[in-house]
Amino acid sequence: MTRKKRQAVQGFLYILPSFVLLAFFAVVPIFMTGYFSLTDYNMMKAPSFVGLQNYAKVFRDSYMKAAAMNTLIYTVVTVPVQTICALGFAAFFAVKLQNHAGGFLRSVMFIPVIASAITAATIWRIIFATDGGVLNSILGVFGAPKVNWLGGTSTALISICIVAIWKNIGYFMVIYYAGIMAIPKELYEAATIDGATIMQQFSMITLPLLKPITYLVVTLGIIWSFQVFDLSYQMTGGGPGKATVTLVMGIYNTAFKQHKMGYACSIAILLLLLVLVVNFIENLFFREKRGQK
Amino acid sequence: MNSQDLRYGALHKKRKWTVVSMFGMALAILFAVICIAPFIYMMLMSFTQSTTAMFRLNEIHFQDLSNYQYVFHNNGFFRSLLNSILVTGCSCFFNCVIASMAAYGFEKKEFPGKEKLYQLYLATMMIPGQVTMIPIFLIMKSMHLLNTYFALIVLILNAFGVILIRQFMKGVPDDLLEAAQVDGCPEFQIYLKVVLPLIRPVLVSLVIFTFVTSWNDFMWPLISTSKSSMYTLTVALSLLKTQYATNYGLLMAGSAVSFVFPFVLYIFLQKQFVEGIALSGIKG
Repeated sequence: MTRKKRQAVQGFLYILPSFVLLAFFAVVPIFMTGYFSLTDYNMMKAPSFVGLQNYAKVFRDSYMKAAAMNTLIYTVVTVPVQTICALGFAAFFAVKLQNHAGGFLRSVMFIPVIASAITAATIWRIIFATDGGVLNSILGVFGAPKVNWLGGTSTALISICIVAIWKNIGYFMVIYYAGIMAIPKELYEAATIDGATIMQQFSMITLPLLKPITYLVVTLGIIWSFQVFDLSYQMTGGGPGKATVTLVMGIYNTAFKQHKMGYACSIAILLLLLVLVVNFIENLFFREKRGQK
Repeated sequence: MNSQDLRYGALHKKRKWTVVSMFGMALAILFAVICIAPFIYMMLMSFTQSTTAMFRLNEIHFQDLSNYQYVFHNNGFFRSLLNSILVTGCSCFFNCVIASMAAYGFEKKEFPGKEKLYQLYLATMMIPGQVTMIPIFLIMKSMHLLNTYFALIVLILNAFGVILIRQFMKGVPDDLLEAAQVDGCPEFQIYLKVVLPLIRPVLVSLVIFTFVTSWNDFMWPLISTSKSSMYTLTVALSLLKTQYATNYGLLMAGSAVSFVFPFVLYIFLQKQFVEGIALSGIKG
């Protein structure tokens, strides 16, 4: 066996275990999802081909319409808020608090990230309780009336957004902080000599140089938002009514409660398309940036 | 001045604290308090027999462990805890082994179609887990693999580890591997004795990332387990909420059990934790 051939065999053998897993649990299933999405399949009898009927049904389904709308609202609320807060805190820590106190505060802000969404939801569900809940008690001190946070159609989704933002800020703050620390200090020195204020430095140096990180943070935030499930499952179960049903909860309920596997797969494929579009747009921005260089 | 001092911000160190920066400080402290307060509330509530969410200091009895005893014995949390530990441990181990082997093959070996295959790995990273979950459920069901540890572990393994380790392995010098080869070191020994020790830092990151993903995973365990003896902690906690929606002390004890392991690890391995989790965002 030549050296080249031996290397090829070795390389292949090293990759084989991961390849088998990937093939079985990513590549094959994605085609199966695609196929099932074109069928009527309830697990009792073999899938029967129905063409694009499932897709047509998704767009008429009021439950899925609500799910899509809720997911959209959730995304539009959480992504900007968590991005701006994360950037704000990261910039503040970088400018003013590069010491132990700052390190401590950053560590504390990261704690919600490591808790599971289920744990966070369990705790916050109790904090949001209408009678005697911590939040209502605090607001009551200021004379605010009791709010039925998770039971009201208008407040339930926002409550879930609040928990998501609370949980995500620490994560994105760490990414932003690392990004700011990687900016060459000479730029700030030069700007200081030229008499630029901190705010000017932030908008003229920091913000433009953080652009790739911002794309990342926003893309990731959007994709996570599209996939939200645990929080609303544990906090509200999708209720009241359809107020907090999300896309993924729609897939879950359709597939595993109503056993409409084909229909659920068509929703899953639409979710995949949404994620791919977001990824595509991000890549587009990245390519544009590289072109400028 | 050391290099740290020269970073952004050092230039302004001498400047006074303005109103704006005081406001920023206040916000940062406020948010840090909001980040930790729910967990303190959780701990305190878990020592009460309260059936209202109202928080009364005189109801807290730290010697009263009955909530914990109740979740462990009557709600199978002990079994769930063992399941979570086993599943998470195996996920971390197998992910490291399989991903580092693949990364080594991709980075240090040549074979036709290598980069095309790698592109496939990258592409699978874009697929949300929920999209493939239904067919995977059906496959597992037909092979009678639901309610097994295998099902819980195998889905945690994905291309992310391969991509992460491959990037790191670019820094492992080829000369070193060739020297080992010339010395007559058998191929697999090179991977085991030369490569693995060199990539230890990235393996630590991968272990932490896998730990958190696996420990906190909910949807797949929810779908793939129907026997209470196979529940992981997240599933057990979600069922506890369904059964005892207003037994707040009990729910908080359950939450505390599921939170304590990642939290203790975080306390001891803070730096690696932040790196390991932040890395997941820089994938691909």
